[in-house]
Amino acid sequence: MKLPSKCRGFLALASACLAAMPVVGQELEPGPNYFLDTPDTAKYALIVAGPTVGDSNKDRFRQWAFSLHDILARDYGYSSDTITLLHDRGYTEITGGERIDGAANREGIDQALSDLAARVATGDQITVYLIGHGSGAEEEAKFNIVGPDITGIEFAAMLDRFEQQDMVIINTTSASYGFSASLSSEGRVVISSTRSPSERYDPVFSRYFIEALDGRNGDRDKNNRVSMLEAFEYAKANVEAWYEEQGRLAPEHAGLDDNGDALFTLEPATDEADGRLAEIAYIDTLVVSNENLSQNARRMKARMQELERSVFILRGRKADFLEADYWTQMESLLVDLARTTSQFNDAMGEVEQ
Amino acid sequence: MIRKNTLSVIARSLSLPLLLLVSQLAQGQADTDIGGSPLFRGEELMRSGSYAAAAEMFQMADGLDRNEGIVGASQAYFLMGNYQEAMRICSAAVDDDDYGATQLISTQLAEVMRATGRSAEALEILRAVIDEQFEPPVRTLVQYGSLLQFVGRRAEAVPYLDRAIQRYNNGLVFSSEDVTMVALASWLLDYFHDANSLFNEATRANPNNLEAYGLWGDLFLEKYNAADAERTYQEALDINSRYLPALIGMARVVGDERALQRALAINPNSVAAMETYGQLLLMNERKDEAMEYLDRVLAINAESLKTLSILAADAALGERMDEYAQYRDRVNEFSPDNPRFLGDVADAFGNNYRFTEAVEYARAALTADPQYWQGYTLLGSNLIRLGEEEEGKQNLEIGFENDPFNVMTSNMLKVFDTLETYATKESEHFKVHMSERDADILWPYLEPLLEESWDTLTTKYGFEPEYPVLIEVFDKTEDFAVRSVGLPDIGPLVGICFGKVVTLISPDTLSANWQEIVWHEFMHVITLQMTKNRMPRWLSEGISVWEEREGRPYWGRSQGLDLVRAAAQDKLLPVANLNAGFSGAQNNADLGFAYFQSYLVVDFITEEYGFDKLVELVDQYAFIKEDSARFLEVFDQSLDEFDAGFRGWIDRRVEEIGVFVHTEDQPDEGAGHGHGVRENSSAVLAELYNNASLKQHMRARIEDNDKDFQAHLQLGIVLFKEENYEEAKLSLENAYELLPSYTGYPSPPLVLSQIYEQEGNREAQLQWLETLLESLQHDYDSAMILAEAALESGDTERSAYFLDRAIQVDPYRNDVHQLKARYAEVVGDTELAVTEYEVLVKLDFNDPVEARTDLAEAYLANGQLDQAKQNVLYALEIAPSFQRAQQVLLQSVDGGAN
Repeated sequence: MKLPSKCRGFLALASACLAAMPVVGQELEPGPNYFLDTPDTAKYALIVAGPTVGDSNKDRFRQWAFSLHDILARDYGYSSDTITLLHDRGYTEITGGERIDGAANREGIDQALSDLAARVATGDQITVYLIGHGSGAEEEAKFNIVGPDITGIEFAAMLDRFEQQDMVIINTTSASYGFSASLSSEGRVVISSTRSPSERYDPVFSRYFIEALDGRNGDRDKNNRVSMLEAFEYAKANVEAWYEEQGRLAPEHAGLDDNGDALFTLEPATDEADGRLAEIAYIDTLVVSNENLSQNARRMKARMQELERSVFILRGRKADFLEADYWTQMESLLVDLARTTSQFNDAMGEVEQ
Repeated sequence: MIRKNTLSVIARSLSLPLLLLVSQLAQGQADTDIGGSPLFRGEELMRSGSYAAAAEMFQMADGLDRNEGIVGASQAYFLMGNYQEAMRICSAAVDDDDYGATQLISTQLAEVMRATGRSAEALEILRAVIDEQFEPPVRTLVQYGSLLQFVGRRAEAVPYLDRAIQRYNNGLVFSSEDVTMVALASWLLDYFHDANSLFNEATRANPNNLEAYGLWGDLFLEKYNAADAERTYQEALDINSRYLPALIGMARVVGDERALQRALAINPNSVAAMETYGQLLLMNERKDEAMEYLDRVLAINAESLKTLSILAADAALGERMDEYAQYRDRVNEFSPDNPRFLGDVADAFGNNYRFTEAVEYARAALTADPQYWQGYTLLGSNLIRLGEEEEGKQNLEIGFENDPFNVMTSNMLKVFDTLETYATKESEHFKVHMSERDADILWPYLEPLLEESWDTLTTKYGFEPEYPVLIEVFDKTEDFAVRSVGLPDIGPLVGICFGKVVTLISPDTLSANWQEIVWHEFMHVITLQMTKNRMPRWLSEGISVWEEREGRPYWGRSQGLDLVRAAAQDKLLPVANLNAGFSGAQNNADLGFAYFQSYLVVDFITEEYGFDKLVELVDQYAFIKEDSARFLEVFDQSLDEFDAGFRGWIDRRVEEIGVFVHTEDQPDEGAGHGHGVRENSSAVLAELYNNASLKQHMRARIEDNDKDFQAHLQLGIVLFKEENYEEAKLSLENAYELLPSYTGYPSPPLVLSQIYEQEGNREAQLQWLETLLESLQHDYDSAMILAEAALESGDTERSAYFLDRAIQVDPYRNDVHQLKARYAEVVGDTELAVTEYEVLVKLDFNDPVEARTDLAEAYLANGQLDQAKQNVLYALEIAPSFQRAQQVLLQSVDGGAN
C-alpha cells in the first residue's frame, strides 16, 4: 500500500495554483502537494488490456486500448516513449500492433513498472488504465491477465515503489470494485467502473471514459483540459443515458476514491468526500510560460489568477450565502475577471502587433 | 377479525397431529377395502372431474358415510348443472323438514336453492339448522351470513359470520373445508388480509381443496389482482381441469371465450359461465347471443344479481329507463338497495365512457351502503376521468383505507404521487400535467400544436368543447396505463381520450409521430363531447384517424396492402359490426386494421356524401336511437344499403391500388396501433434465406404476377445487399410504382435512398428521402438529413419544414435542436434561437457550460439582457476562465454593446 506520508516540499508555481485553488478555497487541512502539475511534471501512462474470449470482446478491448493510446499521443502530449501498452499476449502482428509494448501478464506488468520506476522523478504523474475482465471480491478480487490472475493486493504492492509520484488508476474491468479498493491510498485517484462485487457484467464505462478524453469532450469548465473528475462525470452520465436508452436497469455504477479511504463515492465533487483531488488531476501536461510577458501582462495575469481563485472560494462556500447575495458577489468577481482577461488579451495583442 | 391467539394455535397444532393419527389409524383399518369405499372413490372421481360417475358413486355410500355421500352426490350434480337432482336427493334425505337433523345435507340444499334463485327458502332452511343446533356447522353459519348479506340484511349477517371466525379463534376449526368457510366469512366482513391468509392455510392443509382455490382466485379477482388470480385458478385446474369455478375464473381473467365454452360443455346450465359469457359477448357487440345466455341465466336463477345488473346497465346505457327500473325492482324484491347492483351499473357506464352517469350510479351505490368500498374506487376513478381530480383522489383514499388489497385503488393513488412531481402548464384551452423534463422540452412544441388543433377542429366541426381540456402526459407507460384503465397493462395504446380528459404516453418513450397522436386524441375530445360520450368507438376512431390526414398530408395511415389482403380474404366487417373489430381484436394487427377500416368508412362518407353528412352522423349519436335509424336519417338508406355502397367503394379502391398480395406474406406489424413505423415482416426473409434462393423465389413470384409488390421489394433488397445496385434500383422502382404510398420498414424509397448514398449520388439520395417522407411521418433520421441539406443549400424554408418533421418524431435529441438553433441564427429569428437553446440547456448533460453560454448569447441577441447575464453566470460559475462566456457577460452588463 502507498504510504500516506508522501510530501514533496516545494512551492507550487503560480500557474499551478490555478488548478489547486478549489482545495485551498475550501480550507482543507493542509496536506501534501499532490498533482501540482507544473510544466516540469512528466506524465506517463500504463495501459493494460487483459485477455478475453470471443471476437467481439477482443475487438472491443483492443479498440479501447488503441484508441486511448492514440488519444493520449494526439491530444495530451504523450508519446510512445511515455505510454506503455500491454495487450493480451503481446502479439504485435495485428493491425495497429506497433503500439503494443508487451504482454498483459505478470512479468510484463512487473517489467513495465520497473522500467517506469527507473525513469520517473519526484512529482511525476503515472496513469494506469486497466481494460478487460475482473473477477472475485474483496481481497480475492482479481484482474484477469495472461497466466495467473493478479489480485488487487498484489498489484498495490507493485505500485508501492511510486510513492513519490502522483498516481491515477482507472479500473474499467467487470467486478472491478474489490480490486480497485485494494489500490486506494492517500494522494491517489482511483476510479472503478463498478461499485460493488455484485456488478459482474462487462461495463461500458471505459467506452465513455475514453470518449471524455477524445477531443476533450469531458472538458466541462472550458479550460481546455480534462480532469479526472470531469472525465468521470462525463462517462458516468453517458453510461446512465446509454442504459436508459436501452431500456435496461444499469448493472454498473462507477465510483471514485481520492481520499484514500477505499470508499468509492458515486457522485464525487469538491464538496464531497471524494472529488477534490480528482478535480486537479489532469491527464495532460501543462505548458505555461510567463517568460515572454510584459510586466503589465504579468500583473494582469496574476490578477486573473487571483480572481479565479476567489471564484473557486466563493463557489465552495455557496451554501453559506443567501442565493441573491451569492450571485451578486459571483457576478462582481466574474465581471472583474472578464474585464481583466479582456485587457490581458488586448495587451497580448498589442505585443504581437 | 381472526385472532391468532396462542391457545388456538396450540390447540390446532395439537389437534392436527391427532387428527392425522386418527385418520391414519382409520385408514389402516380400512386398508383392505379402501379402494371399495364409495365415499373415497366418489371424492377421487370428483377431483378428476368425472362428476356423473362421482354422483353415482357417492349415492352408494351408506352407514356413517351416507350423509356425506348425499352431499357429495348433490355437489356433483350441481357441478354438472343438474340442479333439480342436486336438490331432490338432498330433500329426499331430510325427513319432515327436520333440517337440524341433517345439517350438512340441509346446508347443501340451501346452497343449491340459493344458486337457483330461491334465496328466501334457502334462508329458512339455514335458519332452521342454526336454530336447532347449539354449535351449527361452520359452513352453515357462513352460508347463512353470506345469504343474509346478499339479501341486504347486512347487519344481521355479522353475528353469524363472526361466530364462524370466533370458532376458528378458539381453535375449533380443523378441516381445510371449514377453514375455507372462515376465510369466506372474513372476506364478507372485509377482513381481506385474514381471508387471504386463511385461504392459504386451507390449501396448505389440503392441497386438493378445489373450493378454496376457486374462492381465493375470486378474492384476488375482486381486487383486480389478475396475476395472483390466474395463478390460483391454474392451481385448481392443475388438480382438476374440469373444475368449473376455476375455468370460469380463468375466463374472467383473460377473457378467454374457449374456457367458457369448455365450462358450458361440462355444465350447460352454469349460471356463472353464462353470465360471464353474456357479458363478454356484450362487450364484443354480439348482443343477440349475449341476451340468449342472459335469458337462460334468469330462467335458472331469477335472482342472479350479476345478470340483472348487466341487463339493467344495458337498458340504462340505451336510456330505456323503464326497462332499467324493472330490473332494479326485481333486484329490490330479493335484495333491496343492493350496492353491488348499482356499482355494476356504474362500472358499465364507466367502461362505455359515460363517466357522468357512472359517477351518479357510484354515488347511489354508496348512499345505499357507505361500506361498499369498491364504490369509492368506482366513484374516484370515474371522477378522475371527468377531470375532477381532487374529489376523485379523496374517494380513492377512502377506498384504499378500507380495502388496501384493491390493486386498482392503490395503483391509481400511486399515480397521484407521480402527478405531484409533475409540472402543470396551461394554454388558452388546455391544462397539461407533465414531467418537468417534458415541461421543459415538449411543452414549447406541444402548446402551439394543441391550440392549432383547437382552432382547426372546433371551427371545422362547429363545436367548442368544455375547456380547459385536461391533458396528462406520463413518462412511464405503467402510470399511463393505470391512470387510463386502473391497471398497469394497456396493450398497444399510446393515448386515450375520456371526453374531457386525455391521457398520453410521453413522446420520450415512443418512436412515433407524437403530434399526430395529440391531434388524433383532441379530435376524440370533440366527437365525444358532441355526443355526450355516446359516440361508438369505431366512428370516433374513424374520424380521429381521418382527421390525422386532414391535419397534415403525411399523417394518417397508408395500409394499401392490408386493405387488398382484407378484401381478398373477405375480412372487412359490416359497418354495423365495426365496434367488434376493436373489442374482438386478437392481436395488434387486428386492432390496427379496425382503426384502418373505421377510417375508410369515414373517408367513404366524406368522399361520397360530403363532410357535412359526417357531422350530421356524429350529431345523431347525441340521441338514443338505433344505428339503422341514424343511417336512414342521415343517408336516407338502410344500414345494409350503406354497407353495400361502402363495399362497392372499397372494391373500387382495391382496384385502384392494383397490387397483388401473396398469401405467404404476413401483414406489417407496428406498435401503438398504427402510430409508429410498421415493420415489413416479409423483409425478414432476406435475413433468413440465402440470396440465390430468395432471388429465384421472388423472380418466380413476379413471373406469376408482375403486380406482386412484396416480391419486387424483396428482390430489390436482396440485390441491394449484393451491391447489384442497377438491378436493385429497377426492382425497387417497380415496387415503388406499384404502391407509392407504402410506408412499411424497409420501403422502396428508403432502400433506393441508401443505394444512392452508397453511390455517392447525394441529389438522388435526398430526392428519395423526400419521397419517403411524403407518406411516412415517423422517420426522424431522414428528416434530419433533409433539414441539414436544405440549410446547407440556403433553402431555409425547406430546412424549417424538415426540422419540424424531425421534432414531430423526437424532440428529445440534441442534434435537432442544435440544427434548429443554427437555422434560427441563419434566418435571424432570435426568439426561436432562445427557445432552442433553452431546450438544449435541458438536454445537454455533457457540456452544460457550452449550452448555457449558447443560451446566454441567444438571449443577448434577443435583447433579454437579464436572462443572458444569469445564464452566463451559471456557465462561468463552472468555468470562470471561459472567454466566450466572459464576452457574453460583459455585453450583458454593458447593455448589449459589443
